[in-house]
Amino acid sequence: MPPIRDKFTIHSKAVVCQDVELKGDITIGSGTIVHPKATIFAIAGPIVIGMGCIIEEGAIIVNRRKEVMRIGDDNLFEIGCRVECPSVGNFNTISTRARVHHTVRISSFCVIGAGCLLVPTEDEVLEDYTVIYGPAAEKRVWSGRGKVQEADLRRKHAEYLKEMLPKFNRLRRGEGT
Amino acid sequence: MAPSVHYHCPCLSNSTTPPPPHLPSSSYSFHPLHTLFFCEECDAVRCNRCVSVEVSTYYCPNCLFEVPSASVRAEKNRFYLFVHKMPCNVLTRRRCARNCFMCPNCRNTLSVVPSDPPESGDGRLAVPISTVGEPPFFLYCNHCRWDSAEVGITFEKPTGLAAQLQKFEDSAPDSLEFERLKDHFEPFIRASSLSSSTTSHAVAHPSSAAHSHHLHSNSITAAASAALARDIPGVGKYNPLARSTSSRGIGVSGRDRSVNKDEMAEYRSRVEIAKASVVGTGGGDADVEFMRHLENVSEVASLDQRWENSWVTSLQTSDLKPLRIPLHSKRSKRCPACTHILIKPEQKAQSVRYKIKLVAANYLPAITVALPHAQKALTEAAKRTLGKSTSAVEDDKTPATGMVAGKTYPFHLALTNPLYDPIQVRLSPQRLNISTAPSKDGPPEKARRPPFVISLPTSTFPIAAFAEAWEYDDDEDMFGVEEGDDFGIRGGAREKDGRSTRSKTVGVLEKRANVTIVGGEVVIGKEAQGNVKFNTLVSYTYRSDDPAPSESNDGDGPSIPQGNKPPEVKTFAFYTVIDLGPIIPREDSKSVPDV
Repeated sequence: MPPIRDKFTIHSKAVVCQDVELKGDITIGSGTIVHPKATIFAIAGPIVIGMGCIIEEGAIIVNRRKEVMRIGDDNLFEIGCRVECPSVGNFNTISTRARVHHTVRISSFCVIGAGCLLVPTEDEVLEDYTVIYGPAAEKRVWSGRGKVQEADLRRKHAEYLKEMLPKFNRLRRGEGT
Repeated sequence: MAPSVHYHCPCLSNSTTPPPPHLPSSSYSFHPLHTLFFCEECDAVRCNRCVSVEVSTYYCPNCLFEVPSASVRAEKNRFYLFVHKMPCNVLTRRRCARNCFMCPNCRNTLSVVPSDPPESGDGRLAVPISTVGEPPFFLYCNHCRWDSAEVGITFEKPTGLAAQLQKFEDSAPDSLEFERLKDHFEPFIRASSLSSSTTSHAVAHPSSAAHSHHLHSNSITAAASAALARDIPGVGKYNPLARSTSSRGIGVSGRDRSVNKDEMAEYRSRVEIAKASVVGTGGGDADVEFMRHLENVSEVASLDQRWENSWVTSLQTSDLKPLRIPLHSKRSKRCPACTHILIKPEQKAQSVRYKIKLVAANYLPAITVALPHAQKALTEAAKRTLGKSTSAVEDDKTPATGMVAGKTYPFHLALTNPLYDPIQVRLSPQRLNISTAPSKDGPPEKARRPPFVISLPTSTFPIAAFAEAWEYDDDEDMFGVEEGDDFGIRGGAREKDGRSTRSKTVGVLEKRANVTIVGGEVVIGKEAQGNVKFNTLVSYTYRSDDPAPSESNDGDGPSIPQGNKPPEVKTFAFYTVIDLGPIIPREDSKSVPDV
């Protein structure tokens, strides 16, 4: 395995704290917030994170595949979650301490509940509006009612963090700036 | 399983000696210390089986609203009491009547949310600057994202949901049936309340024998049980057998017509259950038809989702309705003998404190048991896994932590004194289980020899008083000198021996703060099986404050010193069962039976 070459491309409007662990080829889009103590590992292939995502403390995002791992817009990765999905759509929530294996692809508006373990042996795609919840990682489909309000809340959440995090943390800048 | 110590409550039998510990039934007489109470008046241990329980408040666990007991005993619940003659139904039926609901899918609390504003239609989500709640409102589960709009329940305004839902609930088949039952029985309740004022309460009723345990309980409980046991005109005597064999669920009437001479019209249910074969009423064919055309398992509501309902409901997930949250209760407990309150919570639902709390942990020394060889093995195993994970995988853990037949093991008993005075403790293992018990149920060859022999120090040993300061610093050296001066003399030569020769296993091993660790030894027989489990009588003497027990009203625990009189000494004894864990039978004893 060749040594991992670090290449960070961070949008000027993204907020990435100094105390994060980044490895490999990583692109972070505009308005995305990365809290301190988060970890993003592009081991095999690059990771591209879209706009307005929130990656909280202790969250781990890993790309074990050669292909680009694409994470869409306005996703929320809560504290201590671990995501290795090759693709993530928009407006998803990965709750606290949830773990998603690299065999799962997440579409949009999905919710992985707190502490859920999603490790199917076969490749699987979570359709839009899938909700995983409970200790047995049960699955159901959300009606989607209330998604506009949730999206609004997500935006406000990101806006607040964008304002507050730089006051208490040093920020990391990409090579370009 | 970790070794354990349980305490005996003698409420199940007349004798104070506990049953032999190897009998399975003996577990009902022994309880963990934290579940026990201590009655100061009777000077006795009380357990949850013997105390009498009263409800002091009802509250909703979600909104913490205290529901007045008058409204808990509202009409519907009182009627349930009447039909089932069991007070527990009051608890199970009572629901929060405010805006608290449970998700029928995952049992999380539902919240009321407004609807989304209409989408702008340009693909991209239109995010409004300010979200003013837009009707219709619906109930929404934050956990599994179930919402009540899925089952067609929406609200015009976000307040008074209970009232808005009431009409759905009132038209449900079970409440309709209930209303009908109520109408049916109403005249008889009235008649019974009239007759009860003239006739004396039935004391000689057979069910009062079952209540004999609570003979000394307070008047409220007595009145309640008498009311429950009273004969009600028109209704046969309560007979659990007849009720369980009765083909109808609630068909109390019409069963034992021979018993009562009062005329009561036979009750006819609202719907014939045999004809009610429509989807949603628990009918047979309709449900079979539904199941046959099933495409997705999630269309069927699981059993625990339908379990709460008292009536047969539809199998379909799409018919699940939001559930009311059942009320919780705070209960106070009384001593069965002297009816003094043992524990009484504060009235407020928000408070987690108690007004009165006489728990056994504040009176009896707490005993924990440890097997040093098992602990050592565990810590070593932990070290190994920390260091090199690959090294000692093949080495089997069970012989290290378990107890193998035919060997001798030391064990430690740590006794903690909760009192503010030093106590003298004496341990005496019960001989009973060794001499007589195996002959009763064990195989004949076990009768000759006991499966194991316990040796414990039989002399008394001291435990220092409890002081709050010791809670804070855990420094062992701090009390080393003081200990030797204070207790070394009293402990005598035996204790000094224990200090000089570390190899000794039986005797007092260690003393620090208000904890004394006593070592014991178990010799396990070669053919021994089962658990190493033995009863031990623990007796301790403490300085008593009140010279005469008759004027003991002001005494608040044994902490208040009395004048300059020599302190009076009292002794209290209780039984414990100590379970050291299972014996691992020796493999070689099977292959070579005669060694």
